[in-house]
Amino acid sequence: MECKFVPSVCSYCGTGCGVLFEVINGKIVSTLPMKTHPVNEGKLCIKGWNLHEHVNSSLRLTQPSVKTFGRFIKTDWDEAIQLTADRFREIIEKYGPDSIGVLVSAKITNEENYLAQKFARAAIGTNNVDHCARL
Amino acid sequence: MNNRVKAWLEEGTIDIFLGYKEIDHHPLPYCFTRERLEEVEDLVVSPARYSLEKIATHMAAVDPDVKIGILVRDCNQRALNVLYIWNQLNPNNIRTESVNCCPSRLKEHGDCSYLEPENVGPYKKQVGVDNILPLEDVEMYAKEEGFDRWMYEFQKCIKCYGCRNICPVCFCKECSLEHGELVKTGALPPDIPIFHLVRAVHMAGRCIDCGLCEDACPMDIPLRLLYQKVNKIVMDLFDYETGTSAEQSPFSILGDTVKLEPKPIQPARIDN
Repeated sequence: MECKFVPSVCSYCGTGCGVLFEVINGKIVSTLPMKTHPVNEGKLCIKGWNLHEHVNSSLRLTQPSVKTFGRFIKTDWDEAIQLTADRFREIIEKYGPDSIGVLVSAKITNEENYLAQKFARAAIGTNNVDHCARL
Repeated sequence: MNNRVKAWLEEGTIDIFLGYKEIDHHPLPYCFTRERLEEVEDLVVSPARYSLEKIATHMAAVDPDVKIGILVRDCNQRALNVLYIWNQLNPNNIRTESVNCCPSRLKEHGDCSYLEPENVGPYKKQVGVDNILPLEDVEMYAKEEGFDRWMYEFQKCIKCYGCRNICPVCFCKECSLEHGELVKTGALPPDIPIFHLVRAVHMAGRCIDCGLCEDACPMDIPLRLLYQKVNKIVMDLFDYETGTSAEQSPFSILGDTVKLEPKPIQPARIDN
């Protein structure tokens, strides 16, 4: 039997609580708060306590799907990205770049947030960037 | 301690030893195995407590025959006794290495950082229940006053289920606290005081007074006092002191067949 404890940071919000994943035989079975972490000091909210559940969920989306004629059709990343890019181009040509907005998230890293705003400003050409933690 | 654990692993007395190891200055639970025997040198007694026995139940659920060694303080030992009673762990597969306990009214010397009382603010002292008061003092409140004080504490609850999740002796597959008819969903605070009282009732004859729930509570609700009270009633009525022995509690399962209907499983809705 292989059992290990993997320290990590909760991905649900920008607070950054320290969590400890209990991994038995390669499967995350439970999430614990890190007792000595300076941010949460051994406490968690309900979302943090249940971090492992969405990792193991059978409802988890593992590949992109494209809505065609009202139904989601599973596809690969190349096609999904190409389709999105084509639609963005169409919309920008028809209505202008300010018709698109980018919403970023506290769940992703600082660097990814930076890239997203760069994408909005440099690639799309709009200042419509907002963030869920801009309270 | 380290040599003994090493010997146990070498002899095959145990397959895995659950202890602590310092990783990036954080004492974290760690599994020591025969394959990586040299790591046993890093085994430490952590000032931070994790419920190692609960982890052991997770391991036993995957492989019931795995022989586990555990680093135990007094609270861990009491929890193990309760888990033996409720057939969550097989005592023949568990080997314990005892270490010093937390400092408390009974033991002054200890390795554990917890149970050093945090400073309670004046407002909480005025309208709530001070977490570090002895149970006798809390029982002295008049009925209405006591109720108001406890309700002040309960209304802070953010329903994180941390008290249940961290509890070493909480192992039910279906939890009453998640039952929609007992505790209504969709509102904060949860149904008070029912939410906390349901848990308190279930802690009778089970709670081993480790204090992990209070430690994990983001709202500092004095849960330990609440469960001490329920256990005191069990003590008065049945003369049963929870966790002190692996002797069946007065709350055994009634009969062999369970006639309660299980909670119907809601099929997950997928829109497409």
